[in-house]
Amino acid sequence: MAARAGLYVHIPFCSAICPYCDFAVVRDSPSGRSQYLSLIEREVSLLAASWETEIETVYFGGGTPSALSPAQFATLATMLRERLPIAPDARWHLEANPEDIEEQRIAAWRAEDVTFLSLGMQSFSDSKLKFLGRRHRGEDAQKALACAQAGGFETVSVDLIFGLPQNRGEDLDLSLEVVDQHEVDHVSLYQLTFHEGTPFDQRRQSGGLVELDNDRQADLYLELLEQLGRCGLTPYEVSNLARSQQHQSRHNRKYWRRDPYLGVGLGAHSFDGQRRWWNVRDWKGYVARLEDGQLPQEEIETLTSEEARQETIMLALRTTAGLDLDQLKRDFGFDLAAQRPRAYEQWRQSGHLIQDGVILRPQLHGLLVADAIARDFF
Amino acid sequence: MDHIRNFCIIAHIDHGKSTLADRLIQACDGVTDRKFRDQLLDSMDIERERGITIKSNTVTLSYTAKNGKVYELNLIDTPGHVDFSHEVRRSLMSCEGALILVDAAQGVEAQTVANRYLALEYDLELIPVINKIDLPAADIERAQEEIESDLGLEPFDAVLCSAKKGIGISDVLEAVVEKLPAPKGDPEAPLQAFIFDAQYDAYRGVILLVRVVHGHIRAKQRIHFMNSGVDYGVEEVGRKKLEHEECDILDAGEVGYVIAGIKAIRDISIGDTITDADFPTTECLPGYTEAKPVVFSSFYPMARDDYEDLTKALEKLSVNDASLTFEKDTSAALGFGFRCGFLGLLHLDVIQERLFREFGMSLLLTAPSVVYKVTMVNGDVLSVDNPSYFPDPGSIEEVSEPYIMAAIIIPEEFLGVVMELCRDHRAAETNFQYLSTGRVEVRSEMPLGEVLFEFYDRLKNITRGYGSFDYEMLDYRRSEIVKVDILVNRETVDALAQLVHRDKARPRALRYCERLADAIPRQNFKIPIQGAIGGTIIARTTINAFRKDVTAKCYGGDITRKRKLLEKQKAGKKKMKTIGSVDIPQEAFLAVLKTDKDRS
Repeated sequence: MAARAGLYVHIPFCSAICPYCDFAVVRDSPSGRSQYLSLIEREVSLLAASWETEIETVYFGGGTPSALSPAQFATLATMLRERLPIAPDARWHLEANPEDIEEQRIAAWRAEDVTFLSLGMQSFSDSKLKFLGRRHRGEDAQKALACAQAGGFETVSVDLIFGLPQNRGEDLDLSLEVVDQHEVDHVSLYQLTFHEGTPFDQRRQSGGLVELDNDRQADLYLELLEQLGRCGLTPYEVSNLARSQQHQSRHNRKYWRRDPYLGVGLGAHSFDGQRRWWNVRDWKGYVARLEDGQLPQEEIETLTSEEARQETIMLALRTTAGLDLDQLKRDFGFDLAAQRPRAYEQWRQSGHLIQDGVILRPQLHGLLVADAIARDFF
Repeated sequence: MDHIRNFCIIAHIDHGKSTLADRLIQACDGVTDRKFRDQLLDSMDIERERGITIKSNTVTLSYTAKNGKVYELNLIDTPGHVDFSHEVRRSLMSCEGALILVDAAQGVEAQTVANRYLALEYDLELIPVINKIDLPAADIERAQEEIESDLGLEPFDAVLCSAKKGIGISDVLEAVVEKLPAPKGDPEAPLQAFIFDAQYDAYRGVILLVRVVHGHIRAKQRIHFMNSGVDYGVEEVGRKKLEHEECDILDAGEVGYVIAGIKAIRDISIGDTITDADFPTTECLPGYTEAKPVVFSSFYPMARDDYEDLTKALEKLSVNDASLTFEKDTSAALGFGFRCGFLGLLHLDVIQERLFREFGMSLLLTAPSVVYKVTMVNGDVLSVDNPSYFPDPGSIEEVSEPYIMAAIIIPEEFLGVVMELCRDHRAAETNFQYLSTGRVEVRSEMPLGEVLFEFYDRLKNITRGYGSFDYEMLDYRRSEIVKVDILVNRETVDALAQLVHRDKARPRALRYCERLADAIPRQNFKIPIQGAIGGTIIARTTINAFRKDVTAKCYGGDITRKRKLLEKQKAGKKKMKTIGSVDIPQEAFLAVLKTDKDRS
């Protein structure tokens, strides 16, 4: 395997569960946290024997990784370094909630080489934060941002949510202003999604929340990209913008490039180039399997060549790096122009894709329909 | 023959015909309590559930009258609905008398009047029966008035009863014995028997229901069907007493069944006259008219693999229902199906429902059409019931369409809205006459094709359920009929073409366009949906291109779920029909072709 790997560590704890979230999360508790960290160690020990690919990015996602105390974080980092082939120059990423941003923690993260800090702001507007069920206020978020930016990270990223249901006080101007003023280097821009089973989805189904119509969603997205562009941010994936290539998330890029990655923790996903596997999502199952000395895997999937090709297309079209048609031919013997002539013609003619040598690159409105294009190319 | 009474019950729907039949059967001990169920004579599930009678049936009852004599009562149950008026006529022809049932709360309604006229045609003795006298809303005096003024019958002869509560049942039976004449016929004359209906039994083949007029019929007799010209050997004769009860002989004046090794109902003709093959009568009984389908629609299976099953299902249904016609039809949009002909909308409805219930067939039905007569410039005359075969307008001299005489009975307060409804449905001439207190009968000459679209539902709606409706066929009249095509992305969708009057073309086309636009998912380009007559666009809507179709987050590494989702969506798309580069899901056709009744 030529490409170096990523490591994903899932920290599922949250002080409260957001009504739109469908990640593997559990309520935070001190005892749960220490139990979980010992389980992670056990899982990593079981995995270590079979994982050889060198790891060049480490990502702590959640839940709320910033909920770990400085000491807990240091112990976890040390354990990972001891047991897994993590490169000395690896980039460490961490997701943090604004309420956890304080000097002690920042110092602990910096001490462990965290260079990319991703702040779960979602918004800087109080009313919008309240609607989303977040626990911080806009003012706290601004303070946290300033504090994080002074912490010496290579990149501080801000998560923003857009596309609130109709009449729910969408207010992006303020957030854009903050991004501009603070010269934020990276933004993750998520459209609010109604995931099945979440409280928001139930409210949508009962008619309490009305999803924005398709046109409005598209307009809003394009408008946001334009405004963020004026702040110096350029999209490199459907939901991610960076000031420069240096500020892009190297870890997340691995997913879109189909580089290998190892996932540990509740519900974490892994990929070794040929196989994908994922852990169980429920806490009890995770605990039981590890206490029994087994890996907590739920399922392993060996990809067929066709599936691998579909993944390649689907993921590449989400990025402005685009789809390398030559590589598609080399890796899968698949000549897109010849085998999907109608779709290939149509999407180029409509301007959603442009051809740049052997690269098929989505334009901004192409990113907006990346799934539709991928389906046509499958 | 003095001890025989042959009679039927005629009534508007819901006036309690089947319940009264049940009570008469019980009163004559025609059925044990163990075997009793409601609507004894309605054997199909759909009849029992909807409370309607579709097929005729008969039962022979033994009744000991107050005068001490034992009578053989043959009760012939008939459908009440106009779609099945052929069957009603045949039932009436087999009787000497009829009970004409009037709901004490509802009074005389359109079908009561229509049936009364039918009974007159056949010179039947009529006994008015006022049913449901136990209801709080019962108004016996008013019902009597209406019997006199609307039906022209002696009001004080009316028997009062409540079939539901079992009140007055013996009075009804006494009236049958006392007031209805016994049949007349010559037992010694050559056989002359009338087939008023037939049933299909999987084990015994066709079971004919007959009325013997002259002569007699017995097992081993060779019989000749005078209209069909075929001969069969009688295997068994008998009387229907809920079960089939074999007997030696059916004599002149009697009603019973005949089994003669007939494989399918379409092998013979209902309404035909049976005679003895060796000692034939020369005289054929009147009453043989072929029931011609007047409403046509194409049936396509929702799942294309179901075509073979649909073929088998239609064949099976037609074994029992000779008036159902079907022939192969193909559509570029919907694949293989059948063009089916029906006696009316209720018949269509019943067949569709039976296909669903008895055979599990989910179907797409094209817009129902009547039969148009098209006179060509070269003088040829074509019958066209399918828009696909409508000739090029340039070659047409003129088109005519079938007209009906609609009879609508309503409380007078609704006269204005009903007159307007008739106008809306292109009535040529509408008259009305006041019936008894507060009620009006509207008679309107209108195209049959207009009744196929929302007429019933609108009538029920605007009269708050009080309007009753009946019709008879009139004639063909010249009309401005055009073919309206629906185009998706400038390509015609054959299954959505319709034949309509020019004045109705635009609104109808627009409605189809709007429904299609709602039901076709957005695609990555703008799609015009158009309605057109020939090359002229008369209606248009647009489906805008979708602009956002991407999941927000794609990391945390769950690539498998996302790939599978896209794969599934792609597979769904493959099942769609592509017309004009537009992927149209089957549900879109369903949404367009659904009637408004279904949509509410």
